[in-house]
Amino acid sequence: MKTKSLLKRNYNHQPLVDYPDYKSSLLRAPKQEKIFFPSTSSEISGPVFNRDIIGKNDNDLTVNFSKNNKSPIGHKILVYGTLKDQYSNPIEGALIEIWQANAAGKYLHPNDKTLTPIDPNFAGCGRCITQSDGTYDFFTIQPGPYPYPNRGVEWRPMHIHFSVFGKSFGQRLITQMYFEGDPLIKLCPMVNSIPDQKGINGLIGKLDTSKASSQNILAYKFDIILRGSNQTYFENRKEGL
Amino acid sequence: MDNSKEIFQETSFQTAGPFLHIGCMPNSIGIKGIYSHDIGIRPFEGTNDNLITIQGSVYDGNEEALDDVLLETWQSDKDGKYSSDRGFARFAPDKITKQFKLTTVKPGLVKNFDGSIQSPHILLSLSSRGLNMTLNTRIYFEDDDLTNDPLMALIRKRKNNIDSLIAKKINKTNYIFNIFLQGKNETVFLDI
Ligand SMILES: [Fe+3]
Repeated sequence: MKTKSLLKRNYNHQPLVDYPDYKSSLLRAPKQEKIFFPSTSSEISGPVFNRDIIGKNDNDLTVNFSKNNKSPIGHKILVYGTLKDQYSNPIEGALIEIWQANAAGKYLHPNDKTLTPIDPNFAGCGRCITQSDGTYDFFTIQPGPYPYPNRGVEWRPMHIHFSVFGKSFGQRLITQMYFEGDPLIKLCPMVNSIPDQKGINGLIGKLDTSKASSQNILAYKFDIILRGSNQTYFENRKEGL
Repeated sequence: MDNSKEIFQETSFQTAGPFLHIGCMPNSIGIKGIYSHDIGIRPFEGTNDNLITIQGSVYDGNEEALDDVLLETWQSDKDGKYSSDRGFARFAPDKITKQFKLTTVKPGLVKNFDGSIQSPHILLSLSSRGLNMTLNTRIYFEDDDLTNDPLMALIRKRKNNIDSLIAKKINKTNYIFNIFLQGKNETVFLDI
């Protein structure tokens, strides 16, 4: 009988949850150590979403909230990449959801109390399901950086939030993509909560100018790697599946 | 298993931030017309019999109930079977009451790959501002036999706060499950 187990997560590459430089973590980061146990069928299984939930413009944030064919303010970008597991197997059919601020750095959200203007033609919300080769793409607007209260007022680097489903609930990933060359990246405590530079570099979308002249668009390539799984063999038991 | 393959580094997490509803549940904050409906509203579409509700709050270190967290659950059906097209729910606490409410079917006994049996349980994940990574835990039920569940046994042995994983029954179909991020009642979180 065959069984699967997710590769144990390596926390050397993951942000510290208890990270006082990020003030919001002070009252929220648990203090006890997490309990590890080998994957069961509960963690290996997971929700998979049908392609028919995806609307035609769900992955094009430059049109999915526009009124009377008006474009949002800002410059249009393409964000694309491949979703793979740790063994480089492409993951097809996986739901990726994104959210972001508008070009001025304002979120269309009741809790964004900054006085920065909203853009009536931009919601900052998009999703897609990866293709058979694991690729995905989003058309959107370059998000602006924005101030937030931390150690005094600090500024977030430009970023896009990503939520990714694999095939297992234990593969679930929520992260942010940053933009190559942004000087605010190295000042950001949320970024610096990741202890290794390779982990940080993995979150930086790489500028791709190959479409800059032919299609008039700047592109950023952001590949995403979810946990892989091992397959091992068990002796068959009478009560086995 | 192909052991010859190089193992790459998993992409690092970052906080979901305070505005996660825009991407994960836009209709709930009034962003209408992009997605016909938010995903995970009903974990078992079309099932109306034998539903239970689980209600609770997520408390921070000041014992303040939070309303800006995203909760996601994953579970088997009543017979302990997982199916990729049902069993997932996504919800957030109510802005006024600060309570979340999950209406779902009671999961069944889950058979492991090795033949061992897990007591009925629901996987729960928690993402929000202030959490650099998603947190994971499980919901068990106080009216079930938990003596032989492998994870319960492990937690009992380590003398962790086992009660934090067990939903309290208040009547036939209603349970309470509160989550404490810090403090003397801190919930047991899992490295799944
Ligand atoms: Fe943000």
